[in-house]
Amino acid sequence: MTRATPLMDRLIRRSLEHAVPLCVQFDLTYRCNERCVHCYLDHQGDGEMDTAEVRRVLQELSQAGALFLTFSGGEVFLRRDFFQLAAEARRLHFDVSLKTNGILIDAVGALRLKALGVRRAQISIYSADPAVHDAVTKVRGSFERSVDALRLLRQEGLRVTLACPLMRQNVGGYRAVLALAERLGVHSLLDASITPKIDGGPGPLEFRSPAADLLPVLADPVLNPRVKRSPTSMDGEAPDDALRDIPCSAGHYSCYISPYGDVYPCVQMPLAAGNLRRHSFEEIWHGSAKMRQVRWLRESSVPVCRACPIRGYCQRCPGLALIEGGDLLGPWQRACELAEQTARLAGMRDPVSAWHARRPGEAEGPVFFAVARSEAIPKTGEVTWNQTAKPL
Amino acid sequence: MAERQLTRNPLAAWTEIEGEIVVISPQDSVLHELNGTGSFVWRQVDGQRSAGDIAELMAGEFEVTPKQARADTDEFIAHLLENKLLKGDSEA
Repeated sequence: MTRATPLMDRLIRRSLEHAVPLCVQFDLTYRCNERCVHCYLDHQGDGEMDTAEVRRVLQELSQAGALFLTFSGGEVFLRRDFFQLAAEARRLHFDVSLKTNGILIDAVGALRLKALGVRRAQISIYSADPAVHDAVTKVRGSFERSVDALRLLRQEGLRVTLACPLMRQNVGGYRAVLALAERLGVHSLLDASITPKIDGGPGPLEFRSPAADLLPVLADPVLNPRVKRSPTSMDGEAPDDALRDIPCSAGHYSCYISPYGDVYPCVQMPLAAGNLRRHSFEEIWHGSAKMRQVRWLRESSVPVCRACPIRGYCQRCPGLALIEGGDLLGPWQRACELAEQTARLAGMRDPVSAWHARRPGEAEGPVFFAVARSEAIPKTGEVTWNQTAKPL
Repeated sequence: MAERQLTRNPLAAWTEIEGEIVVISPQDSVLHELNGTGSFVWRQVDGQRSAGDIAELMAGEFEVTPKQARADTDEFIAHLLENKLLKGDSEA
């Protein structure tokens, strides 16, 4: 999840050992004032938890030991009680981050965030060309307003990240986006994980860049220095290393909460573990059968991928493997394609993933947690390639 | 002269995992992990107590002389103040 410092690494290990939800993403609303073409959400706001409910959940998260809290959406500033909730989160001494489009942030708002001690903000910019950005968001002038927000938050001393989801219509402009971030003095993050809609609909996938179109990004030595190395991300690790053998943080030391109070192991893992209107966070986090099942997952037990010759180049996401392939322990074909491209760039001749190398009719191993594709699917992905290491 | 009362920096983010405190410094985003005695000190900081008050509590809780407790507490609190994790009453 992060390029961890030794201390951060130890904190994660302790969180794992004691089942502490160290990192929580909390979507406060699915309503939004943009209509991004690739968005996975439905934007309806009926049934959101109210102020008192969210405050209670924040207290339960604090009692559970959560430290890193990300408020996201939808657009968080559409909640009239946003600053009230942010203040409560800071009173409970969470390390608060925001994911926002920024178009409602003005100088006063930026100052309030600083005064509250909100430490980080991430704003999506789809292109350095305002016309391309606005065509994605379907809001004229949104580029200027989002860039203004980046500047204002930067001026107030927040750690600001310009995030750029890479799609067919903007992948060619990624260097200009990085240059824009540099001019603004903010961090940058390229994200190629376009995912299906929340209802399972494949609509956003039409905007997903073909793996071949991502080659310039993959080959960029600044963004991906590891393509020049041998694959080592898994192979060199001790097999009994608990931290390295879990597929990701989901359900182990992180989770996701929807505006309606549903708790999931991750924003992109559609396994609703319980609802905070009916159960406490502690009951769900420690008692849910789905959470326990996810905690049981180990990379070394993934049937197809554990024998993959290019596994060291792979960024398999178990949630997206489930959403797109129906199996939490199965391959995520998108990751297979990208791993092959990356391995080729690193000098391997004709790299083929274990999934693509399987013979017709070959057993694919057991299917775990298979779900119907129409099951509610929360949100999209996190980092695929990032230029800078994530902060704490 | 009365000792200054100590307050946690309200801008610091922190949590407690199995009895040990982890704090993020608001000035530089550095993660600080406090050991058992450090965490004890952190928990005693309530806006009312001074370093002397906390050292007395420390001497009662751990097998350490009052003199040593005071010296160790002063050193540790100086470290926390330097890193802006605590505020003295004049800065609060």
